[in-house]
Amino acid sequence: MNQRDLELLSAYLDGQLTPFDSTRLETRLTTEPQLASVLNDLSAIRSLLRKLPQRRAPRNFTLTRKMVGQNPPLPRAYPIFRFATALATLLFVFSFGLNSVGRLAAPAYGVGGSGGGDASQEEIQSFAAEVPMAPTEAPAATEAPVAEPAVELAPASTLAPTEVSNAARSVETPASKAGDAADALGQQNQVEVQSEALRPALVPSAWQIVLAIVAILCALLMFMMRRIAISRWR
Amino acid sequence: MNEQALITDAQGGNLDAFNTLVLHYQDSVFNTALRILGDEDQAADASQDAFISAFKSITSFRGGSFKAWLMRTVTNACYDELRRKKRRPTTPLEPDTDDGEEMDSPRWLADPNMTPEQKSEAVEVEHAIQHCLDNLPLEFKTVVVMADIQDMDYTEVAAAVHVPLGTIKSRLARARLRLRECLQGFEELLPASYRLEGGNTA
Repeated sequence: MNQRDLELLSAYLDGQLTPFDSTRLETRLTTEPQLASVLNDLSAIRSLLRKLPQRRAPRNFTLTRKMVGQNPPLPRAYPIFRFATALATLLFVFSFGLNSVGRLAAPAYGVGGSGGGDASQEEIQSFAAEVPMAPTEAPAATEAPVAEPAVELAPASTLAPTEVSNAARSVETPASKAGDAADALGQQNQVEVQSEALRPALVPSAWQIVLAIVAILCALLMFMMRRIAISRWR
Repeated sequence: MNEQALITDAQGGNLDAFNTLVLHYQDSVFNTALRILGDEDQAADASQDAFISAFKSITSFRGGSFKAWLMRTVTNACYDELRRKKRRPTTPLEPDTDDGEEMDSPRWLADPNMTPEQKSEAVEVEHAIQHCLDNLPLEFKTVVVMADIQDMDYTEVAAAVHVPLGTIKSRLARARLRLRECLQGFEELLPASYRLEGGNTA
């Protein structure tokens, strides 16, 4: 018996042959006992398989929402709160970063010493050059120092050389005017640099607190919304 | 049970509707998995996976036989389970004979606590058949389980296995032939009415 006959017998068993093919096969079955024997065996096997006991499922295979990753229907406002939480958190973190960068940059300018000094010297010189341009204030400012060094000139010999030179320089009226202005400017500049180092953060801490509160509040609201949605869903 | 209405609801995400379908088909799905895998625990896992997968992809069901569609899902789950089993093989429970060879008879599966009456023909025949099913190539086994054990018609089996009708006929015929050859080795176990004649098929 070939493969074709086997398929014919199997299909005949299941009633899958056309009436014409069925009639032809039935004729052959009467004349070919071997074919009939195989048909009987196939029929017995099919019966055996069909009589196999159907086992009951050992448990119910019903699905839970968790199994299928189903989420509860959340309120429509939920995405807004989610967005607000994310935005507030981002801004909060960003404000910290911004302030840190600002604080790092400020000391580099103030403590830098020589760099800052050079810059201030240039400013001093330029400012000194501008001083004569304001004659109304300059004389008033220079008159007093002229008198004072005269008084202090006597103990000048006991002073340190620098102080002496300062004193000497203060005596020289035209130069000392510019020098004093330069000193004053230098001090002013240093104060500015220090104040720059101590200047308030780029993002005020009040804003940071507000952002943190917004983020926390929104997150809490989201949490509550989700809890309520889950409890209702169940 | 209005199956179509339940399917439509399940497609809309209604889990309760889908669970009604699960309760209706779970025995068929489990038995199919059991006959393909030959192991209850694995069959239970595969059935559960099949239902989860079915729910997730139920929107892809476009009509026709829902049972066939479900059987396709469970068949795929069984194939996955078999692949997993192949990657991580487990030690067989089959005891060795005195010669150190694995016992080939399904008798070893019988519960030693059972009474002689319980060691009935039915149990032994079932074990013999399962043994022979286990020796079939997977594609043959799938077809014979669906057609002969689950009593699905050829069209349903073809839809479930996604192969042409002619291939189903051919596979089923060859599967039955192989089962016949295998079961001839357990002739003494078979009831008289099921004794095979063992005609030459060469």
